[in-house]
Amino acid sequence: MAVIERTRPVVTNPSPVGPRTGLRKYWHLYAAISPFYLIFLGFGLFPVGFSLYLSFHRWDGLGSMEWAGLSQYRYLLSDSDFWNSIGNTVVIWALATFPMILLAMVTAVMLNSAVRFKSWYRVAYFLPNVTSVVAIAIVFGSIFSTNNGVVNAVLHGVGIDQVAWLNTPWGIKVTIAALMTWQWTGYNAIIFLAGLQTIPGELYEAARMDGAGPVQTFFKITLPLLRPTLLFVLVVSTVTGLQSFSEPQVLLQTSSNDSTFAGGPGHSGQTMVLYFFQQTFDNNDFGYGAAVAWGIFLVVVLFSIINWRLVRRRGD
Amino acid sequence: MRLSRRGLLRAGLAGTAATALGGLATGCAVPTGSTGRDMVLWYWSGGLSDTVVKNAKTRFDSSVDLRAIQIGGQYRSKLITTITGQAHIPDIAGLKGEDMAAYLPNADQFVDLRTLGAERYKSRYLPWKWDQGIADDGTMVGFPIDCGPVAHYYQYEVFREAGLPYEPADVSRQLSTWEAFFDAGEQLKKRVPGAQLLTDVSSVFNNVVEQGAKRYVDKDRHFIGDQEHVRRAWDLAVEAKRRKIVSDLVSGTPDQLSAIEEGKLPSQLGASWASFDIKNGNPKTKGRWRIADMPVRPANSGGSFLSITKACREPERAFQIITWILDAANQAQGYVDAGLFPSTPASYDLKQLREPDPFFGGQVTTDVFGPAARKIVVAYNSPYDIALGTPIKDEIKNVGVLGKDPKKAWSDAMSKCRRIAKHLGVSY
Repeated sequence: MAVIERTRPVVTNPSPVGPRTGLRKYWHLYAAISPFYLIFLGFGLFPVGFSLYLSFHRWDGLGSMEWAGLSQYRYLLSDSDFWNSIGNTVVIWALATFPMILLAMVTAVMLNSAVRFKSWYRVAYFLPNVTSVVAIAIVFGSIFSTNNGVVNAVLHGVGIDQVAWLNTPWGIKVTIAALMTWQWTGYNAIIFLAGLQTIPGELYEAARMDGAGPVQTFFKITLPLLRPTLLFVLVVSTVTGLQSFSEPQVLLQTSSNDSTFAGGPGHSGQTMVLYFFQQTFDNNDFGYGAAVAWGIFLVVVLFSIINWRLVRRRGD
Repeated sequence: MRLSRRGLLRAGLAGTAATALGGLATGCAVPTGSTGRDMVLWYWSGGLSDTVVKNAKTRFDSSVDLRAIQIGGQYRSKLITTITGQAHIPDIAGLKGEDMAAYLPNADQFVDLRTLGAERYKSRYLPWKWDQGIADDGTMVGFPIDCGPVAHYYQYEVFREAGLPYEPADVSRQLSTWEAFFDAGEQLKKRVPGAQLLTDVSSVFNNVVEQGAKRYVDKDRHFIGDQEHVRRAWDLAVEAKRRKIVSDLVSGTPDQLSAIEEGKLPSQLGASWASFDIKNGNPKTKGRWRIADMPVRPANSGGSFLSITKACREPERAFQIITWILDAANQAQGYVDAGLFPSTPASYDLKQLREPDPFFGGQVTTDVFGPAARKIVVAYNSPYDIALGTPIKDEIKNVGVLGKDPKKAWSDAMSKCRRIAKHLGVSY
């Protein structure tokens, strides 16, 4: 679209050939950008639309679909397990995101002023983000295991009782949050670093001339100018955090034959997406699964709006 | 520059048009099933013996090209997607035992094996296993591959140290009721410090339910998970917790594996295929294990089927291949290659199943699993069993792991079941 608008003046100029419609004149431009739209149509838009259609039906995936009206959504509203999974997701998201943003910002400020091995640090901080979640979850499962885990060994070392991390409601949430924090801190530090580097050096010089200390500089210059970056980081971590799936799934699966989407004892680690999987693929209830998916969509939209508002208003 | 850009655009357009047209063209021409001489067989890693599949390929080479494909990941999802999409449906499809409840109501997607003369083979297979492959309307969807008789795995030396019976025959005879089994657990705890008989209450609950002929929803779409057979399993599981003979570990975690290795969890109630999990998870415990009967009676866990889909062009030939792959001799090979316990009792006397297993101190494990497999009772497997069994299983886990009050847990489970039953149209 941007391409079209930029070249529009050419169309308004009188040309000897006579007026031609946009589509006929610029068909090759449309053609050039079409692969994305065609693929999106087939693999993005169609499934989204179909899931909406599905959510008004009962379907076991094989037989015939049965019209269900709004009953799937009505059931969704009264489904305590769904609300519980929203609660879990939000708690895990909060436990992961706020420490992560703090750590990422501190890391970014340090990276920005580091003198040596700058690029080495950047690569090192980025590595957790490109490591397979499954591998990380298996390692975290060992680190947080009750009798032989490193975390409990450290706690024991300082005289604190063992915690059954993967067997208690809060332990499960903290472990998942720790995993997500570890995975995303480096990535967001790099984003913050990019934001930091757009802040003009003169501002800092002026601040120094006026006698501002490093703390004052951070809160009066760095933080306000970093707000757009902060918004980006917050929105992205909201969207990914609210859709967390692999982390609890791998961390909490057991070898016994119960569901791999249950999210541990008391469903304490069952996030919204895990619940969606359980309803859809364990119970073979595709209609309700689709309704759950749309419920998740609304929650994510709601959170994105809240995020946007919070950060924007303070900025203006 | 201009030229090359235009060239690029043209190439891009041509490519897109070709893809779009090609996509449309093939979209109209996607075959529903296999093509040419192909006979496509879908199974999963470990679902059939690779040796047998290879032999089947050469054996039927003169008439068909048997293309056996191992499907990874979520097998059922992929199979039903293909069937629903009506494209490239395999001729022969493996069906996992735990998914049967989902396939049977859609029996019209498969060829009724009775029409191909399946009855002739019936006497050679375990009767309860045979019945599991049959839908409510009598259509035979699945032909039996393997079964998973559940037995009692225990560590010989630990039982001996605790003053418990330790020879397989004695363990089977003396720990033949849950009462005796729990008493043994208390004695073990007293004599061997830190040891507990079982990992979790769920293994008691699930196995007691599976031992019976009823589950959670009956043939008339009525919820029966509040009845005596489930109630009894619940009470036994709660008793196991109260008498503290179960650990608070989670199976499959590093904590549990190390407890097993140290002899702190000397017992497991597991299906025949669980021996592979123990061998992989605790290779150092080789020689320490024995197998005895599970208290009361055996149960079944897992075991799968082969089916012929409606898209198959040569059902007779496909049926011929299936019956050959799953005859007694080849099932014995399946046991050796993939740990698939045969559904053909004739296999139990073959030499492949009579090998002493050094991991189990030289015991011939078929002596336990074979008779167990014949004693299993079949329960009605409702498509709503998973949805309505899960709340009860979840709550018993809460009792076991989180220490939730059993009374509260039971009433929570029941109120959740009532809600789900109403939603699914199951009468309560």
